[in-house]
Amino acid sequence: MPPTTDLLQGTLDLLILQTLVAGPMHGWGVAQRIQQVSKDVLQIGQGSLYPALHRLEYKGWIRADWGNSENNRKAKFYSLTATGRKRLETELKTWERLSTAVGLVLGRISEAAS
Amino acid sequence: MIKEWLTSFRFMLLRQQPNELDEELRFHVQQSTERNVASGMTPEEARRQALIEFGGVERAREQTYEQRPGWWLGTVAQDMRYALRGFRRNPVFTIAVIATLAVGIGATTAVFSVVDRILFRSLPYAQDNRLVSVGTVHSLEKQEFMMGGFFFDWRDNQKPFEAMAIQSTMTHACDLIENNPAQLDCLDFDAGYLPLLGISPAFGRNFLPEEVLPNGPRVVIISYGLWQDHYNRDPNILNRQINVDGSPARVVGVLPRDFQFPTLQPADVIFPDVLVQADQKTANGGFGDPMRTFARLKSGVSIERARAAMEPLYEHTRDTFVPPEYRKDFHLSIRSLRERETQDAQSMAWILLGSVLAVLLIACANVASLMMARGEARERELAVRSALGATRGRLVRQTLTEATLLSMAGATGGIALAEGLLRIFVQLAPTGIPFLDRAGLDLRIALFTVLLALISGALFGLLPALQMPRMVALAARAAKSRKRALLRQSLVAGQIAVSMVLLSGAALLLKSFRNIEEQRLGVQTGGVFTAQIALPEFRYDTSQKRMQFHLDAEAAIRRLPGIRAVAVSDTVPPGGSMGMRWSDLVVDGKPYPDQGTGGSLATRKVTPDYFPALNIPIIRGRGFTEEDTRSAERLVIISRLLAARLFPGEDPIGRRIQSGHHAGWSTVVGVAENVKNGGLVDPDLPEIYFLRGKSDSDWDGKRPMMVISSVLSPKAVAPWVRSQIAGIDPTVPVQIETLDQTVSKLADRPRFETALLGFFAFCGLLMAVIGLYGVISFVAAQRTQEIGVRMALGATRMNILRLIVVEGVRLIAVGGVLGIGVALATAQLLKSLLFNVGPRDPVTYAVVALLLALVALAATLVPARAAMKVEPVEALRYE
Repeated sequence: MPPTTDLLQGTLDLLILQTLVAGPMHGWGVAQRIQQVSKDVLQIGQGSLYPALHRLEYKGWIRADWGNSENNRKAKFYSLTATGRKRLETELKTWERLSTAVGLVLGRISEAAS
Repeated sequence: MIKEWLTSFRFMLLRQQPNELDEELRFHVQQSTERNVASGMTPEEARRQALIEFGGVERAREQTYEQRPGWWLGTVAQDMRYALRGFRRNPVFTIAVIATLAVGIGATTAVFSVVDRILFRSLPYAQDNRLVSVGTVHSLEKQEFMMGGFFFDWRDNQKPFEAMAIQSTMTHACDLIENNPAQLDCLDFDAGYLPLLGISPAFGRNFLPEEVLPNGPRVVIISYGLWQDHYNRDPNILNRQINVDGSPARVVGVLPRDFQFPTLQPADVIFPDVLVQADQKTANGGFGDPMRTFARLKSGVSIERARAAMEPLYEHTRDTFVPPEYRKDFHLSIRSLRERETQDAQSMAWILLGSVLAVLLIACANVASLMMARGEARERELAVRSALGATRGRLVRQTLTEATLLSMAGATGGIALAEGLLRIFVQLAPTGIPFLDRAGLDLRIALFTVLLALISGALFGLLPALQMPRMVALAARAAKSRKRALLRQSLVAGQIAVSMVLLSGAALLLKSFRNIEEQRLGVQTGGVFTAQIALPEFRYDTSQKRMQFHLDAEAAIRRLPGIRAVAVSDTVPPGGSMGMRWSDLVVDGKPYPDQGTGGSLATRKVTPDYFPALNIPIIRGRGFTEEDTRSAERLVIISRLLAARLFPGEDPIGRRIQSGHHAGWSTVVGVAENVKNGGLVDPDLPEIYFLRGKSDSDWDGKRPMMVISSVLSPKAVAPWVRSQIAGIDPTVPVQIETLDQTVSKLADRPRFETALLGFFAFCGLLMAVIGLYGVISFVAAQRTQEIGVRMALGATRMNILRLIVVEGVRLIAVGGVLGIGVALATAQLLKSLLFNVGPRDPVTYAVVALLLALVALAATLVPARAAMKVEPVEALRYE
């Protein structure tokens, strides 16, 4: 198994929300897509995926409906709600601010070291 | 944010199908499997890999489930079911715990319902914390009073108060004259009185400003009780004319049902207090009429600041009205209404509350100890649960759930017990405890009980919870058990300490009470009774009429069979008497009274037979005689104490004294033996007996009472006395009381305090001893194996007995010493309740310590003897 990268607290929520922008998706799909898009760097452990999905559902940011999968099996599809979309925007902004800040700090440190 | 809460709340209510999640997870594994198959694995391998990739299904499911808002509610229900099952399996434990808690919580609730009104509950007035009683006090009148001569000066120049209102100093007897006559208590207050207290009449209205002017319309406000009992809730009571003391008055209002006069003296009919500034300047020798004054502090003004602000006004008044020789005796007093109403009951209330809380503490310690013992027995079960994945938090929650259930059951039992205890308190309680008639279990008290139960539940639930096994519980046992035993032992030592404090307090009160009971009163009480005749003032409006009535009654009663002596006095010992200032006493041929001594004298106005009736010996000179009553000369008898003070080493007979400057000289004809005259607990005062003769002025002042001494039992004589009095005037109410009853009533308060504290101390001791017994049994059982080894190695049974008893003695010693320390430190609080015994009386402490030690030792001997009888072979096989 490739080494997994530990996700920052709360980042998983952001990833799920962002992934669901593309449209309704079931849990497996979400995990696969995150893995694919991140080029296998981010492997979402199922132990955290489903708790996260349900947590988001209870918060009202995503919605779950039963539907049929591509291969015609009953599956639970998650989709973004309006609240979730708004939430995603603010989360994205926070993330950008945070990553810029982290980048700045790291950049300075590497400058000082060199 | 709110929307999120609402969403959460919706999910809390909606029950999710548990298999939905299963299906979702199954789908996930299937998808993974299919992907693996597609990449070329065999179906078996594909599924295996998918499951490995997925990780713990159960764990994922549980973690997902825990995301659900309010998921823990389910575990609470689960914990409760589990707890109840446990209780049912172990009924002895459950009943023991609930009973212990019920006693602790019940006693605390009952006491709290009594002291709540004295200490905490707000008085039934608007913003009661700003209400004060204002006035001057002196050694003979300790309740604030004011005189009409300076009231206006104060009212018009004061700064700290929003408003001031007045009432008459006390209620007076008045007669309701109609088909159904009744003697009532009447009172006056002014138009500002009810608004000051923030009270409006139940119906009708307050007095109007013109009704408190002289010659205004004669109107009254009546009490709710009078309206209800006497007028049968007459809906047309307003504007009805009633006849009070022979003249009509119109009812304009009815007071609220639960209205409470700030003086706590209930009154039935209230007249407007008419106060004219000009008249007050001349009335009563320029002093004006006496009255009680209440005021509302301006917001933000403290009592101290108000006192400072009023001081100049007061000093001006004092220098204007009070002769220089008395000035030291007078003080300005401003007290909160709570102080005024509860008087000295507060310290007693605190002591009762403190001691009952101590009992509750002991009860909690006992329950905690029981829970720990149970935890010991369940150690394996808990260890298994924790090995199966129950977190420490979950186990603690389980224990707390059990504790809460137990304490709630205890509280339910406690409330029922409190109801019964409260009834007993009310039966036992003396009249001096304020608001006792209003004490009851209402919502506030119930909330207090629930709170109490929760706190005690947390207390005895958390202690054992702290001892929860960690993961290692399955293996190591001995070391931890030892630690747990230590905690239980300190609990027991604490219990012994607390019961030592309770016991020493109770013992001090008991000793003090016995001192009160056994002291010499100086009068004969057996066969003596008093008859108080409430003569209506409007019919018996002159001293002459009152004298005639009492002399007739005296003569009529004297003719009855079995009567030894009949006398008239204003009061009887050991109760308080009319007082007089020491500095008012002038002795002929001696310099003007010494100012230094201060203090007061007891005075009584008595007819000649007073001394034989109460069997007070005349030790010098002679008693009063019938001839004396007709003589123009004023005669007095003084007590031995007074004789010794006024005429040390001289013969007092024939000397002349006078009370006050213009009272006229009186000649001392005899010296009487001292009697108890300052109540039961206060020191004796020097006493002067004035002769109650045949002149009108002898019958002024306080209502007289008949003192009757008979050789027959008072029960037999009382009806005859009543009929003799009825023969003179059939309408007057007569109140007969034996002197024994009077004395016993005075001892009600100490009896009540002693009984209650004694009861609490007994409960505390009982529980502490049970706790001690439990812990020693536990220790003994734990050491069974060790005992077996020791015996196998040659220890005698006595050695074993000593081994276990030493454990108990250590606890008793630590607890006892700690308890004595705390008791000595807090004993000062009891001081005001003690009579003729110091709060640190060494004998009492020694006896209590000995008693506690003996009882506790007995409690350790039982399990120790059991341990002694252990068979070594069995003990070695143990476990």
